[in-house]
Amino acid sequence: MEILPYVFLSYMFISLYMLSFFLILYFKNKSKFFEYPIPKKNYTVSFIVPAYNEEKTIKETIEHIFAIEYKNIIEIIVINDCSKDNTKIIVENLIKKYPRLKLINNKNNLGKAGSLNRAWKIANGELVTVVDADSFPKQDSLKKMVGYFDNEKVGAVTCPVLARNKTKFWEKLQSIEYIAISFGRKLLEYVDAIYVTPGPLAVYRKKALEDIGGFDENNLTEDIEATWNLAYHGWDRKMSLNTGVTSEVPNKIKPWFVQRRRWNLGGLQCIQKYRKSIGKKGMLGAFIIPFFIINMFLGLVGLSIFFYLTIKKIYSKFLLTKYSIIADTPLLTLEEFFITPSILNYLGIIIFLLGLLYILLIMVVLKEKILKRENILNIPFYLIFYLILYPFIMLNAIWHFARNKKIWR
Amino acid sequence: MKSQKNVFWQALIITIIIFGIGIYFGIYIEDIRTNKINQLYQNSEIDILDVRLQSEIYSSGEFNCELAISENIKFADRVYEEAKKLNKFEKASRLTESIKLQHKKYDLLRFIILLNSIKIKEKCINSYYEVVYLYDYHETSLEIKAKQEVFSELLKQLKNKKKNEILLIPISGDEEIGALKLFLERYKITEEELPIILINRRIKTNKVQNIEDLLKYFK
Repeated sequence: MEILPYVFLSYMFISLYMLSFFLILYFKNKSKFFEYPIPKKNYTVSFIVPAYNEEKTIKETIEHIFAIEYKNIIEIIVINDCSKDNTKIIVENLIKKYPRLKLINNKNNLGKAGSLNRAWKIANGELVTVVDADSFPKQDSLKKMVGYFDNEKVGAVTCPVLARNKTKFWEKLQSIEYIAISFGRKLLEYVDAIYVTPGPLAVYRKKALEDIGGFDENNLTEDIEATWNLAYHGWDRKMSLNTGVTSEVPNKIKPWFVQRRRWNLGGLQCIQKYRKSIGKKGMLGAFIIPFFIINMFLGLVGLSIFFYLTIKKIYSKFLLTKYSIIADTPLLTLEEFFITPSILNYLGIIIFLLGLLYILLIMVVLKEKILKRENILNIPFYLIFYLILYPFIMLNAIWHFARNKKIWR
Repeated sequence: MKSQKNVFWQALIITIIIFGIGIYFGIYIEDIRTNKINQLYQNSEIDILDVRLQSEIYSSGEFNCELAISENIKFADRVYEEAKKLNKFEKASRLTESIKLQHKKYDLLRFIILLNSIKIKEKCINSYYEVVYLYDYHETSLEIKAKQEVFSELLKQLKNKKKNEILLIPISGDEEIGALKLFLERYKITEEELPIILINRRIKTNKVQNIEDLLKYFK
């Protein structure tokens, strides 16, 4: 009995399950998808912006924060983590214009998590908002996010992170990815399974940060770790879909690969740290950790199969060529192009089309212009080629993780 | 807001239903293909009876060599075409094993043609070339598979060149068929030698060679 068809069928089953899961969640919550609670209380909010060599974007980031429509922003703290460029000078100049802007200069490079820890501890707001130094929050972001904190169990609120630069092909693919991730994260909120409150814009209850002991300075993705830590301590995480923050996405494959490897390494560190919570601690142990592990397992098995089949195909073609040269006979005939489709081909096509429809649904729901020529061409490319790269990054991350290497850049 | 964890179960049920329909559809398609082959085989069954009767006639006395050869080659060619279709469906068969049984039936059918040919050749000496191609059906080695693909192509070319001068009978040499085992033993062919071409039950070759070299056996 051949095993591979059953492995493929299992993959198809899991894909179909995840697709059904997200679609059911969407259709059940369609009417209130973009709703957000109006805050009953005027929370005091501190912003913290960790910065390391951010001279290109820091000014605009700060200007965007000051443009946010919320009356009770009491301070904006920039933590300069020993930048070697003009970040410090730019912020100092801005302080003259914005008196609520504060600058902390680290004596030693503490890393992002270390800088955040230094800042949130001195922050005076009831809520602490983290903004990456290259991210521009929308004006309405805070007023659409803070209302969730009326529920005392809520520890953090996130919003969609969208790609700001979308001109190059690689950026456009990431733009689709960011939109799909945001949509999925909102859906996960309905089952208490938000697993990250990303760095570009996340609002934390200061009390929750105190409860979890702040950000893990040993983790490469302090935002994922903090979210898991919040879940571990029983804090809810929410997502306001009706606003957003834009962020600069890598425009070349190498920095993109490095960024994704860091995300994966951070995920692996989280799995290692919280592995004993599997089956415990609510949705952290029931869904989030198993989801990460299964995802990794499927990626690696899929990649192994991919390598196995590719090598087999190449070797097979090599042998065929060798024998056809000896026999002096061409083997590529017209008949080869007429394949008889198997059930796996049919199911594969159906699942691909469903995936395509899911992405189109997201685009429609989030009001992206799907009829733009570039999107029509980019979506299938995203589904077929872009997503296939994930397991390669994961494999590389596991390799570095096994060698205990933490790579930021 | 109330958590909606029951969605995990709802999604599972929906997936099982959709997937179940998909698998059912798949089995249905494979069944249709098996039935198509079965239908072809049923049509051939009448011919088998005819072949058997011919065989009896060949054993019992004088007969028209030309007619007997032409009938046998015609039948073998038709079976060859049907087997090509069977091969295609077999490659696309993922869920059921029923088509494999059809393969065995076709092997038996081709073996009957071979036995007929043996009888014809006893009386009609040097009338045509009998080419039995014994291949490894269950083989998983890429080397053997590649070799078999080249052999198939060469034999196809050979048949196209020699037309009715050749009776081409491809048979899986590693099927669990008693008669086949006896045949292999009689002509001292082991499974390790497969794939092998047996010409007029005298010349054995399992060497990959070009069509010109192969044609030398037919002079």
